[in-house]
Amino acid sequence: MKHGIRNLFGSLVLLGLGACMEYGPQPEEAFDIRSRGVFITCEGNFMWDNASLSFYDPVTRQVENTVFLRANGMKLGDVAQSMTLHDGKGYVVVNNSGVIYVVDPATFRVTGLIEEVVSPRYLLFVDEQTAYVSDLYDPRITVIDPRTNRIRSRIDMNGHRSTEQMVLAGERVYVNCWSYDNKILVIDTRTERLVDSLTVGWQPNSLVMDRHGKLWTATDGRDGEAPALWRIDPATLEIERRFELPADRPPSKLTLDEQNDRLYFIARDVWRMPTDAESLPAEPFLPYTGTLYYGLGVDPDTGEVYVADAVDYVQNGVVYRFSDTGQPLDTLRVGVIPGSFCFKRP
Amino acid sequence: MKRIAVILAALLCTGTLFAQRDSAARTVAIEQVEIAGVRPMKEIGVQRTVLDSAILRENISSSLADALSAGSTLFIKSYGRATLSTASFRGTAPSHTQVTWNGMKVNSPMLGQVDFSLIPSYFVDRAAIYHGASSVGITGGGLGGAITLATKEPDREGFSLRYIQGIGSFTTFDEFLQVSYRGRHWSSSTRLLASTSENDFRYRNYDSKQFTTNADGEIVGSYYPLVRNRNGAFRDLHLLQELYYTSDRGDRFSLAAWYLDTDRGLALLSSDRNTTREKRNTQAERTLRAVLSWDRLFGGVKVGARAGYTYDDLRYRMESDPDGAGDFIPVTDARSRIHTLFARAEAEYAPNERWLFAANVSAHQHRVHSGDLSVIDATTGRRADTLYRQERFELSAFASVKWRPVPRMGVAADLRWELYGDRTTPLIPALFVDWLLSRRGSVVLKASAARNYRYPTLNDLYFQPGGNPDLDPERGWTWDAGVESSLKSRRSALRLSATLFDSRIDDWILWIATAKKGVYTPINIRRVHSYGAEGKITASTSTASGWHFAADGNLAWTRSINRGDKFSEADESVGRQLVYIPVWSGALTARVAWRHWVLSYKWQWYSERFTMSNNDLGALGRVPAYVMNDLALEKSLEFRRLTLSLKGCIYNLFNEEYQSVLGRPMPRLNASFFICLTPKFRNP
Repeated sequence: MKHGIRNLFGSLVLLGLGACMEYGPQPEEAFDIRSRGVFITCEGNFMWDNASLSFYDPVTRQVENTVFLRANGMKLGDVAQSMTLHDGKGYVVVNNSGVIYVVDPATFRVTGLIEEVVSPRYLLFVDEQTAYVSDLYDPRITVIDPRTNRIRSRIDMNGHRSTEQMVLAGERVYVNCWSYDNKILVIDTRTERLVDSLTVGWQPNSLVMDRHGKLWTATDGRDGEAPALWRIDPATLEIERRFELPADRPPSKLTLDEQNDRLYFIARDVWRMPTDAESLPAEPFLPYTGTLYYGLGVDPDTGEVYVADAVDYVQNGVVYRFSDTGQPLDTLRVGVIPGSFCFKRP
Repeated sequence: MKRIAVILAALLCTGTLFAQRDSAARTVAIEQVEIAGVRPMKEIGVQRTVLDSAILRENISSSLADALSAGSTLFIKSYGRATLSTASFRGTAPSHTQVTWNGMKVNSPMLGQVDFSLIPSYFVDRAAIYHGASSVGITGGGLGGAITLATKEPDREGFSLRYIQGIGSFTTFDEFLQVSYRGRHWSSSTRLLASTSENDFRYRNYDSKQFTTNADGEIVGSYYPLVRNRNGAFRDLHLLQELYYTSDRGDRFSLAAWYLDTDRGLALLSSDRNTTREKRNTQAERTLRAVLSWDRLFGGVKVGARAGYTYDDLRYRMESDPDGAGDFIPVTDARSRIHTLFARAEAEYAPNERWLFAANVSAHQHRVHSGDLSVIDATTGRRADTLYRQERFELSAFASVKWRPVPRMGVAADLRWELYGDRTTPLIPALFVDWLLSRRGSVVLKASAARNYRYPTLNDLYFQPGGNPDLDPERGWTWDAGVESSLKSRRSALRLSATLFDSRIDDWILWIATAKKGVYTPINIRRVHSYGAEGKITASTSTASGWHFAADGNLAWTRSINRGDKFSEADESVGRQLVYIPVWSGALTARVAWRHWVLSYKWQWYSERFTMSNNDLGALGRVPAYVMNDLALEKSLEFRRLTLSLKGCIYNLFNEEYQSVLGRPMPRLNASFFICLTPKFRNP
């Protein structure tokens, strides 16, 4: 007993000296992964500073988590919103940290930063000298010169604060305005001005363009208005079709397959429909199994489908990989709240 | 169970250790102990921790969060001075700790929790913590426990005045003034506290690097920069006025009114690459609390009544200016106004020394108006419909009987019933028993058990968007058992206690994402089993030569385990510790006084806290354990008409780099200096 007391006392003295503190520099790890694969941005919890980046190789079925942290010895930040690959560089948009990190897609090391964007959401390359950044709170699109990573100008969005996904078609960029909005805005890339707009349903949350050159958006709906999928002719800004869904199944995460002719989306289940369909499919591609799907991606080379499950939103999320016929292929555990997929092609 | 027994034994050994250390020379004196007082009927079986006045009066810059961290087994989640500080009691959520001030509820009816950083410890004269089932005697819904805070009549007769000024690191200034008077019938006390700080401490940012570039703009190097805490400046103002009147017939009236006005910056996360020119978060709060009370003894009956009012105006703003030109636009402007009316009637009847009957009824009427004023509906150009207005009446009725059939034993039963809006909770029963095991050492065994319910907050029910009006109350079942001992001799006192507890909470309310992007909603889903052990020691001794030693320590082992069903097959959180609940926590405050000198040392320890529900051990899944050491030295100087006291404090004595919450570095070595003036009035 005496020994026990002495040991306990000794332990307390050690604690008193702060012997167990371990907050400090993070080790840096050397990666060189040149194979094709998929980056998964894991949002993390808002204001918890726990966003992360995962990389998955579908051939070896290996997943590497927190690669940004491990490669750079620093955190990715707060709310990793999206990632874009262009010209051999990865652009990771970290929404609540106000930064877009430019990373080497093989080593995951930072090669550049884009700052002075308060709440960035998505990045779109217009050409080799120009990239647009949408923003959750700034009623402007920020124009970046990717050669210098500097801001070149800002395009006024006429008060529309929540710009989201962008699509380039010819000399026009289309952008959906999500939060408390119902517009698709049109930017002329030659003049860098807002030139037109289209009213759709309440809170358009996604935007893609199919192989026929049609725009698709999905709206949340609200009291008195059903959530819906919208097919739009971008040239005339006419709504060609509107597919209504039940109020408890708002569509989101619009994604196109490798041919850009089949549209995937989450509406409780995961659905797939041809872009020339005149009605919603009768059966889902992947039925709801008690999991609220949070992210969706389709491999542009293989057509394989990746579905993210954030589980309880406070633990390592899970990504399920399916063949394009819906056969389960793999399950991988990633970071907190996996939200978007970015496919790396050699 | 065996493991728990071992831990209980360890806690008792710890107590023995401190007893030996603090009174090593007085073994003989401790041997000649006497029973320390009579056990009050009101405390039969009750697990109560009274915060030591030395802890409450440590510094004018201390909040109740600091006092609770040092003086109790509660875990306070906080990331520095003047930041949101919430309590986790026995592994439960902040809303499971109920707090009253002079009998009136302090918990926000919207959020359910209390920000303890907004309560200056110098404004609290009595603070008691009721663990687990013992909280039923205070209020319902304390699934973790309850804390009662109260002000009291000035001790000193006649006029007294005290002025304290503090100057600290990071351009911190504190001013405190108390003027009080105590007469035969009337007493008054006025307290004023003003604190300002730039709070721009420097830290090495291990979360976000600085990059160096070459002439072509290519990154050629990186390092962890030494940066300042950004946007953490604050200004707090508190004013407390109390009036007391005691009539010749024995009526006692009191009025306490407390106004607080704060304007606080919410520091940017360490990984945030915005500058303060581009982004700022602020929280402003103005609150008035006032309670009028009356009580009187009529023979064996004590009756009392209280009435009160709370006005709370809370405004959280996030503003951005991407151009950094000083032209900020609101991104979030969440504003809440709450009016609460309070009334309470109480009676106690003690027909003899064996029986005590008590009953009380409390009512709160809330009116809440809350929403985000910055959100504009782009389709109409008008403010979006994020506002809700709600009123809710809450009633809590309580009856209790306490019986001591033989002097060694006491049993008690409490029964509470609560109404909220048009719904009620089931009856809340609690049972207590204690047994004086040994008169020598005053060793008392205590046990209690309760069924408890916490009804949803107004945000849970009505928040826009996402509120769920169909929520049920959370259901708790808790028991605890413990032993305590009080030893007292002429010069020394020692009080030890150790308790085991076990609680199960069902229908725990959790906010989860919905199918609609960005919308979260609360549901009754989680089942939590929390169990553990708490130990506490208070010791003091003095020598004939004028030395005085005192120590106050506590240690807690808390397992708070998710026992719910899996969200999906992939769910790995079942069977794991809840996030931000440390398994181990401990604190010790030791004081040595000699003549006009006082040296005090504060030690605090939290084991690692998980930030993911599956208890991931990676850098993003846990906040490492930390130990804090603070040292203070005080010297009093007596003059004919004045007592002057000088005090120097060093915080984070070993200059540790640490975080208490992910992404929130804490200040390293820092210091404060206080000067206290107490004039000596010629009172009759």
